[in-house]
Amino acid sequence: MRKASRRRRRPFGRFVLIGLWLLFVLAPLYWMFITSIKPSDDYLANPPVWFPSHPTLVHYTAALFAYRGFQGLINSLIISSAATLVSTVVGTLMAYSLARFNTGGGHLSFWVLSQRFLPPVATVLPLFLIYRSLGLHDTRTGLVIAYAVFTLPVTVWMMLAYFRQLPPSLEEAALVDGCSRWRAFWAVAVPLAAPGIVAAMVFAFIACWTEFFFALILTSRNAFTLPTVFRAFLGFQGAQYGEASALAMVSLAPSIVLGTLAQKHLVRGLTLGAVRG
Amino acid sequence: MAPAALPAGAFPLPGKEGMTNAASVPQRRRPGRDGALAEWADRRLKWLLAAPAILLILALSLYPLLFSIWVSFINYDFTVPGHAFVGLKNFQQVIGDPVARWSLVVTLILSSASVVTEFLLGLALALAMVKPFRGRGVAMSVIIVPLFISPVIVGQAWALLLQRPFGPTNYLLGKLLGMDVTISWLTQTPWNFIALVVADAWQWTPFMFVILLAGLTSIPQHIYEAAELDGVEWLDTFIFITVPHLAPMMLLAVTFRLLDAVKLFDTIFMLTGGGPGTMTYSSSFYLYTVGFQQFHLSQATAGSWIFLAMTAIVIGVLVRRLMRVEAAR
Repeated sequence: MRKASRRRRRPFGRFVLIGLWLLFVLAPLYWMFITSIKPSDDYLANPPVWFPSHPTLVHYTAALFAYRGFQGLINSLIISSAATLVSTVVGTLMAYSLARFNTGGGHLSFWVLSQRFLPPVATVLPLFLIYRSLGLHDTRTGLVIAYAVFTLPVTVWMMLAYFRQLPPSLEEAALVDGCSRWRAFWAVAVPLAAPGIVAAMVFAFIACWTEFFFALILTSRNAFTLPTVFRAFLGFQGAQYGEASALAMVSLAPSIVLGTLAQKHLVRGLTLGAVRG
Repeated sequence: MAPAALPAGAFPLPGKEGMTNAASVPQRRRPGRDGALAEWADRRLKWLLAAPAILLILALSLYPLLFSIWVSFINYDFTVPGHAFVGLKNFQQVIGDPVARWSLVVTLILSSASVVTEFLLGLALALAMVKPFRGRGVAMSVIIVPLFISPVIVGQAWALLLQRPFGPTNYLLGKLLGMDVTISWLTQTPWNFIALVVADAWQWTPFMFVILLAGLTSIPQHIYEAAELDGVEWLDTFIFITVPHLAPMMLLAVTFRLLDAVKLFDTIFMLTGGGPGTMTYSSSFYLYTVGFQQFHLSQATAGSWIFLAMTAIVIGVLVRRLMRVEAAR
């Protein structure tokens, strides 16, 4: 039966579409990679150089050291990890409260969800002023707190969906055995939810790692993150293609690896738990 | 989700709410072992667990928003000293600024064009990918890669591809069409709009794809089998089975994407820089330039409130509907 339907739906059309799309997805990545290892002389060659005959790594050293990409990398690592940790801990606690005790009726969860859709300009402008008066502007701490809150709605909603999926009977059994509610949460629910927690952490990390707007406004010369380093390559017609590409390669590798590993949870991450993948 | 109803998996707390389900509620805790404080904490646990998150959001989101109301009514301008109360002047300046109004049009054009493109492509891809085939897993992994890349890098990548004279796009198009192509993708209207939509679609089509694919796989297979036995045409199957079943997912995917698409900033920053002139200023980009390049912070804040008010209506309506959809599942 499947064979018949396949024949009717012209499988070749499907594969042409998928093939073209894969080409479209890979082309910019390939070109960027090639640019990152191309000697500068090849930039303006016509026809374009599809693969350089003398690949070089000079752009990588230049991007990392001359353009302070390395410091951006370190800042990004520290800030994203710390923000992920805060967001996951705080978010998991809240999600459990919402899932098991229906805290605040639907209103609290809706309020958290609505945070996800606020335009960042609306909060970043005043946050910039507040941070300046508190001395948090251009500090890692400042960006960590901002990112923790910025990723919180997704973490809460992902974990909320995860906890709702877990049967409450095990925790109830723990309560009947004399555990406190905290212990029922900590010793029973958290270990059961571990895969969900890891997935939430991955998505929070990727969100921080790739974030640009907050970092652009809340940092300048000290706490700047990797994505903001790309500003240095703007406006100089053609001179730094290699450096920009090299830095992009460095930056996209970790998030792609993490994202691919957490692929199974992607649907939940993208829809804040509304859809089970 | 109705506030009064307990969601599946919730268990009622004894105490203020009363005991709704006496059998499952434990009463055998040993008092005295943990002391009164622990006892109190245990009873208030649901709020204690939620408190850190609530406090963080209050401090970093609600407080800045309230603070910005004050900022939008005073003079908070790095080019003018002092913080005098100016009433509605900041709002009037934004509303009277033709660039602000144009940026709203740009935001509408770009976000709707991007979302429609992404929806159609994502749906087509999901339909193509729904049935298993050899290499489907690898194809999946490649298709979703753009979701994990910073929009800044996406902008950078497309700048590399499109920029004249370095980018290979014109060269390839020229070979394909058999004539010289000299399009300035980043500075020539409408090509700059197309470039922005292409970059956005490259990054976010997989978003639509992943959600719609999840929706497609959850449609019960036996409906299709029945339709096939009845000899229903492919198009009819699609319109009368797939679309109605997929509708909630479509709504969800489009809503989520649209709410993000209106914030458009990063790709504009990297690709066109808002140019030529102010041609491709999105609302976010406009507010950024007013606040951080011209340093009229009050004006930018007033503008961001107007923008927020407009999006809040959309958020309120669509997200509430969405939650109802989810509750019905």
